[in-house]
Amino acid sequence: MALDPAPPMLEPPAGDEVARLRRMAQRQWAARRDLERRLHDGAALRVSALTLRLGLLSHLHPDEARDLRTAVEGIQDELHLVLQELRDIAGRLYPPLLDEAGLGPALREAAGRCAVPVRIDAPDERFGPDVEGAVYFAVLGCLSDGAATPVEVVIRRQADVLRVLVSGVDACDAGTIHDGVRLLGGTVALGESPAGDALITVRIPCV
Amino acid sequence: MRVALAEDGALFREGLLMLLKAAGHEIVACAAGGDELVAMLRTRPADIAILDIRMPPEPDGGLVTAERLRAAHPDMGLLFLSHYAESHYLMRILEIGTDAIGYRLKEKVGSVEVLTDTLTRIGDGEIVIEPLLAKRLVERPRAERKDLVAALSERETDVLKLMAEGRSNGGIAGQLFVTPKAVEKHIANIFGKLGLHADVAEDHRRVLAVLTYLRSQRDGE
Repeated sequence: MALDPAPPMLEPPAGDEVARLRRMAQRQWAARRDLERRLHDGAALRVSALTLRLGLLSHLHPDEARDLRTAVEGIQDELHLVLQELRDIAGRLYPPLLDEAGLGPALREAAGRCAVPVRIDAPDERFGPDVEGAVYFAVLGCLSDGAATPVEVVIRRQADVLRVLVSGVDACDAGTIHDGVRLLGGTVALGESPAGDALITVRIPCV
Repeated sequence: MRVALAEDGALFREGLLMLLKAAGHEIVACAAGGDELVAMLRTRPADIAILDIRMPPEPDGGLVTAERLRAAHPDMGLLFLSHYAESHYLMRILEIGTDAIGYRLKEKVGSVEVLTDTLTRIGDGEIVIEPLLAKRLVERPRAERKDLVAALSERETDVLKLMAEGRSNGGIAGQLFVTPKAVEKHIANIFGKLGLHADVAEDHRRVLAVLTYLRSQRDGE
C-alpha cells in the first residue's frame, strides 16, 4: 500500500505528542502482559510437566525405591522453587489476575500480602492493559514502602477520566505514582483527607 | 477412579495422563479445552474431572466448565490444577461447590501417592486446598480482621488451617499429634468464636468456618 508523504512538520502539536506517548505506553504494557503469558505457557508449563515425569520415574522403578524417591522428591522441591521464582517475575511483569479479573481482584490479592490494612474500592469495569497496569503498579509502589497507617484506595470512573484516590500513604509516593501514569497523560494532585492524612488523587484519561 | 481431564498445555496433559495411568486410574475423557470435555462427558460417566483454570473457553475456561459439569453431574468430583494459587480463584471455586472439590498447584501433584490421595479425598466429598494457599490465607489474614483471628488460640489457628486444607478430624489429629477428641474440642471453640451455632450440621459448619474466615478476608476490605 502506498503511503502519502507526510506533510513537513517541525513541532508536532501537543495533542499528537500525547497520543504518541500513549501509544508507546500501550505497547509497553501489552509487551509485559505477553511476556507473562509466555512464561505461563512456556517455561512454567515445561517445568510443571517435568515434575510429573519425575514422579513417573520413581513409580516405574520400585526396586530402587527409597534412594530414587528421595532424589526425585528433592528435585521436585527444587522445581517448585524455580516455579515460585517464575511466578514472582510474572507478578512484577504483569500479574495474571490483573489480566484476567481486573484492578479490584488483583489489588485485593496484593493487599492481602501487606502488613497494614488496605481497603480497595474498585469497580468491576475493565480499562485496558495500559491503564490497569499503570494504576496497579502505582498503587503497589505505595504499599510496598511499608505504610504505617491503614491505606484506602478508591477507584472511580467519571466520564472519560479514571480517578484513583489513595490515602494513608506517604506524600512522597505522589512522585513515584506520577512517573507511572505520566505516559498515559495522567496527572497527580496532593491534598489532605478529612482525617488529615495525605490524599493522593490520580487522574488518567480513558476511553 | 474414572478420571476426565481438560488441559490446553499438551506437555502437561500428556505427563498427567501417564501418571494417572501409572496410578491405576482409568481415563474416560481427555481434551484440550472445556467445551470438548463437557461434550465428551455427556455420554461417558466419570468420578472426577481434572481441569486447568486458564484454558479455553478463554480466559478462565476451567471455572465455566466446572459450573457446567457440576450442574449436569452433581456427583462428579472436580479438581482444579493451576499454575497459580490465588485466593481470588479459591473463592470462585468455593462458589461453584463446597464438597468434592479441590484446587492444587500443577507441580504439587507429581507423585502417584499425592495424586491418588488428592483424588481419593475429593472422591470422599472433601475440599482439598493447596497447603501453600491455605497456609498463606490463615497466617496472613487481612489486618483489619486480626481481631477475629486474634480471638483464636495458636492451636485453634493450626486446626483451622488444616480444616482449610479440607482435612478430616482424624487427619488433623494425625498432623498435630493429638487425639481426635482434642481436635473436636478445638473445632467447637473455633465454631463458637466465629459465631457458628449448633443448629447447623457439623460438616456444613466446618465448611462455613473456613468460608467465614476466607470471606472475612475478602469482604472486609
